[in-house]
Amino acid sequence: MDTGPYSDEKVQKYLEEQFVSVKSQCFWDKRTELMKQFDVSWTPTLLVHDATGKEHHRVVGFVPPEDFLAHLKLGRGKMFFNRFRFAEAVEALTEALEQHPDSGPTPETIFFLGVAKYWKTHDPKGLRWAYDTLAARFPQSEWTRRAGPYKQIPR
Amino acid sequence: MAKIKWEKDFKSAVELAAKNHKQVFQDFWFDG
Repeated sequence: MDTGPYSDEKVQKYLEEQFVSVKSQCFWDKRTELMKQFDVSWTPTLLVHDATGKEHHRVVGFVPPEDFLAHLKLGRGKMFFNRFRFAEAVEALTEALEQHPDSGPTPETIFFLGVAKYWKTHDPKGLRWAYDTLAARFPQSEWTRRAGPYKQIPR
Repeated sequence: MAKIKWEKDFKSAVELAAKNHKQVFQDFWFDG
């Protein structure tokens, strides 16, 4: 029986539509090959992989149900981003931001969306948008500091 | 309701994802 975030119908639907889901049990007294392969040393550890098994997003520790979908969508966007599929990255990250504007991973989503916009169009305004949005909404976030250099870009 | 179909084997999950143009979501869990 699915419990926690997995009991949420929206989570179930999104996982079924976009992902193949796999549960991997951990044993601390005898680490499994998968624990060694992915350097898993605490649970829950949630990973988003592409269809070759390459990791693109990781969450360690409890994820509140309201953040769970946002992490899945960010992970999907980062998979496209890492593979230079920037139009699809912009689409996935925009969906994540619009549907989960106040979630835990929102600052990271904004950062990658700004960079993906830049790569897609080669217009640095995407980077400036990321800094302005982060500075206005999440001034204390590490992601705002990472976007700091982009405040030099003219609006 | 769309119940989640959990795979138990990572390799099979990757193969299934490639076949169906999907990604893989992996939950490492501990039954403590």
